[in-house]
Amino acid sequence: MLVNGVVLAVNYALIALGITLIFSIMNILNFAHGQMFMIGGFVVYYLYGIFRINYFVSLIAVVIVLGTIGWCFETFFFRRIRKIATREENSMLLAVGTALLLENLALSIFGEKQRGVPPVVTGVFRIGNAYLPAGRLLVMILALALVIGLLLLVQYTKWGRAMRALAQDREVTHLMGVNVDRVAAYGFGLGAALAGLAGGLLVTVFGVNSGVGNVYSIKAFIMIMIGGAGVVPGAILGAIVLGFVEAIGYQLLPGSITYLLIFIALIVFLIFRPQGLLGKPWG
Amino acid sequence: MYFEFKNVSVHYDKVQALQNVTLNLEQGEIVALIGANGAGKTSTLRAITALAKLSSGEIWFGGKRIDRLEPAAVVALGVSMVPEGRHVYPFMSVKDNLLMGAYLRRDKNDVKRDLDRVFMRFPRVRERLKQQAGSLSGGEQQMVVISRALMAKPKLLLLDEPSLGLAPMVVRDIARAIVEINRDEGISIILVEQNSRMALKISHRGYALETGRIALTGKSTDLLNDDHIRKLYLGA
Repeated sequence: MLVNGVVLAVNYALIALGITLIFSIMNILNFAHGQMFMIGGFVVYYLYGIFRINYFVSLIAVVIVLGTIGWCFETFFFRRIRKIATREENSMLLAVGTALLLENLALSIFGEKQRGVPPVVTGVFRIGNAYLPAGRLLVMILALALVIGLLLLVQYTKWGRAMRALAQDREVTHLMGVNVDRVAAYGFGLGAALAGLAGGLLVTVFGVNSGVGNVYSIKAFIMIMIGGAGVVPGAILGAIVLGFVEAIGYQLLPGSITYLLIFIALIVFLIFRPQGLLGKPWG
Repeated sequence: MYFEFKNVSVHYDKVQALQNVTLNLEQGEIVALIGANGAGKTSTLRAITALAKLSSGEIWFGGKRIDRLEPAAVVALGVSMVPEGRHVYPFMSVKDNLLMGAYLRRDKNDVKRDLDRVFMRFPRVRERLKQQAGSLSGGEQQMVVISRALMAKPKLLLLDEPSLGLAPMVVRDIARAIVEINRDEGISIILVEQNSRMALKISHRGYALETGRIALTGKSTDLLNDDHIRKLYLGA
C-alpha cells in the first residue's frame, strides 16, 4: 500500500512538475496535460507493446513526440493568442480547445479500447511484509530519476535559469537578451514531454485508453491546488499527498468513494487555504 | 554620432507618449533625461530597448539602425537597461541574478573576471551572493540590478530612476557608482531621473522632457543654473 503510494507519488510528481513548468513560465493552465499523458502511454503501447521496440527507446520517442506537440502548441497557437488577446480567458479557452483536439484525435486514431503492454521486467521483491513487483520498482526509479534530473536542470543550467527568469519577470528577461519566445516554446515542450513520460511509465502498470486524459488533467489540477500553483516544491508536495491518499484510499475503501472524499477534502481545504500549502496568497 | 534618437514618436493605444523626440549621445557621455511623471522618460528608454514600438522615427547606435530589432538583438549589440523599480528576480539567488545578466556571453572565464570586478565595485553584492534577491534592502537590490546590467558588458547603459525610493545616503552611493562606471569602464550612460539635481550634477549633458517633447537641452552645468529648470525641476 505504501509502496504503491510511492510509485504513484513520484509519477504524479512528473505530471505536476510538467504542468507547473508550463503554468509558471507562460501563465497558461495546460488543460491538455492529461491528454499529453495519454498520448505518451499510447506511444509506448505502439512502439514497445506492438512493434517490440526497446522500452527505453520508446520512452525517448515519447519525449520527441510530446516535446514536438508542446513546442507546436506554443509556437503556433499560444504565442499568437498572447500577442493579440486582450483577456486572459482567451488563452484558457485555447488550452481547453487543445485538450479536446488531442482527445478526439486519440479517439479516432487509437480507438476507445483499454490497452496494456507486457511487463518490462519480471519478478517480485519482498520488502518486510509487502511485495513489490519489479515492474513497479522500475517505474518508480525511472520517475524519481527524471524528477531529480528536471530539478537539477532547472536549478543549475543556463537554460533552466532562463526559464526561472521568464517565470518571475517576463519583461526583464527580454532585457537580459533572452529570446523569450524560444525559451517559452522549449519550456512548453519540456512540460509536455514530462506528461508524456509519466504516461509512458504508468502504462506499464495501469494500461491506457483514450479517455484517461481528463482524469489525469484533473489529478494534475488537484496536485497544484494542494501544493500551490506555480511553485515547484508545492507541485512535489501535492503529488506526494495525492499519491499516498489515492493508494491508501483504494486499499481501504470501495471503488469510487476515494475520489469523492478527495474532492470533498479539497473543497474544505481550499476554503481555509486557497493558495495551497506552499503558494503565496493571491491578490 | 554614437547614439541617435531621431524624430521618434511612440503611442500606447491612442495615447501619445513621445512626439518627435530627438536626442543624441557621444561615446563616453552621461546624458540625463529629466522631467515629471508621464513626460516620456521611461518611454524613451523602452523605445531604445525595443520594448515599445515606434510609430515613427529612427534609432541608431554604433552605426546601426536598431529600432526594428527584437529586444534580445538590441541587448546583443551592447545596450543594457536597468528598469524602473529595480526588478530583481526576487526568487533567485543574487548570483543567479548576476548570471542572467551574462546570458548572452559565452566565455566563462571572462564572466568570472567581470563578477570579481562587480564585487570590487559593490562589496555588498558579494556578501549577499547566496541570498534570494527579493530579501535584500532597496539599496542592495539597486546594486544588484546595476551589477546585473554590467555583467552583460554593455557599451550603453540605460538607467531608469535608480534613486527612486532610496535613502539620501544610498542615493549618494549609487550616484558615485554611476560616475565611476562611466569613468573607469568607459560605458556611455543615459540616466533617467526625477531627482533632477543629482542627475544634472553627475551628467555631462541633459534633456528636459515635458509631455512627450524635448523642452530644453544643454550642458548639465548650464541647466543647473537655468531659471526655468530651477523653478520647475529643482524646486528653487
